[in-house]
Amino acid sequence: MLENRETEFPLLSVKEVTKTYGPGCPGRDTAGCLLACDSDPGTNSCAACGSIVACRDVSLDIYPGETVGILGESGSGKSTLLRCLYLDETPTSGYANFNPVGECRNLFSVDRALRRHIRSSLVGIVYQEARRGLNLLVTAGGNVAERLLAAEWRSVSDIRGKASDYLSRTEVPLDRMDDFPVYFSSGMQQRVQIAKALSNSPDLVLLDEPTTGLDVSVQAGVLDLIRDIKREYGITILVVSHDLPVIGMLADRTIVMRHGRVIEAGLTDQILEDPQHPYTQLLASSAL
Amino acid sequence: MPTIAELIQETGSQFTGYSYAFLDSAATREIRRAMLKAVAIPGYQVPFGSREVPVARGFGTGGLQITLSIIGPGDVVKVIDQGDDAGVNANNIRRLIERTTGLPTTLETAEATVVQTRHRIPEEVMREDQILVLQVPYPEPLRLVERSQTVARTMHGERDYARMWLALYEDVVRKGEVTVGAGYPVVVNHRYIMAPTPVPRWDLPKLHRSRTLHIFGAGREKRIYAIPPHTDVYPMEFDDIKFEIEEFGGQPCARCGSNVAFLTERLNTDGSRTLTCSDTAYCDLALTGGQPETWN
Repeated sequence: MLENRETEFPLLSVKEVTKTYGPGCPGRDTAGCLLACDSDPGTNSCAACGSIVACRDVSLDIYPGETVGILGESGSGKSTLLRCLYLDETPTSGYANFNPVGECRNLFSVDRALRRHIRSSLVGIVYQEARRGLNLLVTAGGNVAERLLAAEWRSVSDIRGKASDYLSRTEVPLDRMDDFPVYFSSGMQQRVQIAKALSNSPDLVLLDEPTTGLDVSVQAGVLDLIRDIKREYGITILVVSHDLPVIGMLADRTIVMRHGRVIEAGLTDQILEDPQHPYTQLLASSAL
Repeated sequence: MPTIAELIQETGSQFTGYSYAFLDSAATREIRRAMLKAVAIPGYQVPFGSREVPVARGFGTGGLQITLSIIGPGDVVKVIDQGDDAGVNANNIRRLIERTTGLPTTLETAEATVVQTRHRIPEEVMREDQILVLQVPYPEPLRLVERSQTVARTMHGERDYARMWLALYEDVVRKGEVTVGAGYPVVVNHRYIMAPTPVPRWDLPKLHRSRTLHIFGAGREKRIYAIPPHTDVYPMEFDDIKFEIEEFGGQPCARCGSNVAFLTERLNTDGSRTLTCSDTAYCDLALTGGQPETWN
């Protein structure tokens, strides 16, 4: 896969995405503006105007079938980037070409109908909190069905077949398919969320800290599950985590973020075994 | 103080103090404009400035305003309440129309040019030169799944109906069937999901490619929508779980003996129950040997 880079188009190509909250400085030429500073400024908040710079000039390419990890501490802008890519938020500047919607289409300027299509059919997301990704007022099977119904599935038996297929693959007992996820353990809720995200074979799956907050044995189960599914279906994944072992287990390539900047990017093994940036070195050593 | 009827007597078809058909001409014009838009976009809810009429909100003011703004000389009006011409509400509305226009009214579906109805569609097949006006309590079908009207309107705009389908799916999974009885949601012209007002399921097939113009008016909720003649109207149904109309086990009407009409249960004084036609005009016609064209 890696050898074919030259001839292959990226599935998703993110270019110079910047997201700021607050009034913002007039321009990058402004003296003292955080956006003008090319290296890691050591903070997210601009001394000149008080705006928060959550992401600044983040670029990355994701190729079909690969898993890219985003590693960083809390406040590094990794979740903001993911929210921008799921179109929960609109970035201040930058663009992203997403191949399934046409090569020259900027993901951030699509109309609302296409946005909904992207969110319900082309991109799946697994939130850190299962409650954000699930509708707790409908059954586990109904949660999976929601995406299928949005993709114009209109046969109850087909929908139930597909839902039970994915729920059994994510090890949710099928006799609980028609129960409400509010009565499930958090690990099981997370597995329902994964089944929901994957059910209509999206082109890209975004994982936002999928195992944070789960106890260790459940974590291992969820990670194994994601790895198995990835192997079986060859899906493309962007996974965000502050947890090195999670990134190490899942990601082929990794970018490291801090204070809204990408400070290091490369093969995961290389990032974890031979980090170049002092902050990555600190992360790697503190994990060991 | 003279009554409106006296005023009409005094001035012939003209009368002072009130406009013809009660509504002032600006209101009539606005309601007609809303109706034109509704006909142009089948199933789309057009907002309109619902006026005060001498009937309480929630008692058919939407339907009444539509009727009053489309009728004129030459029209014959029929008003029914849940199939019944003799309902108190139907009587009041009929009388108001008579007094403010001097137009004749009728109990027979075939005679009417405009039929205003609540919760039923006549059994007799209506013609292209007739208009059916339906009184609407709740025009928003998405109310079932979305409380915010703003969000619901956006959902309509984007044809974002996955949650509505999900509600039906959940119904099927948990109860074995879609349990919506009256007011079963329909898809109009392959585009908008529409509330057909609380008519029984029995009446829904009548909407599909009907020869008659159907106009829906919600006075309290200030919405008008329409199904133009020959429009495709399908109930929301799954490929493998089909929409079904009510069954009466082949039992005929206890009064006229018809077995092609929607029946309602009537409680007798001795506590027994009999099933009779809900559409009383049809029942009367069948009783006197009439054989009108029916839907079923």
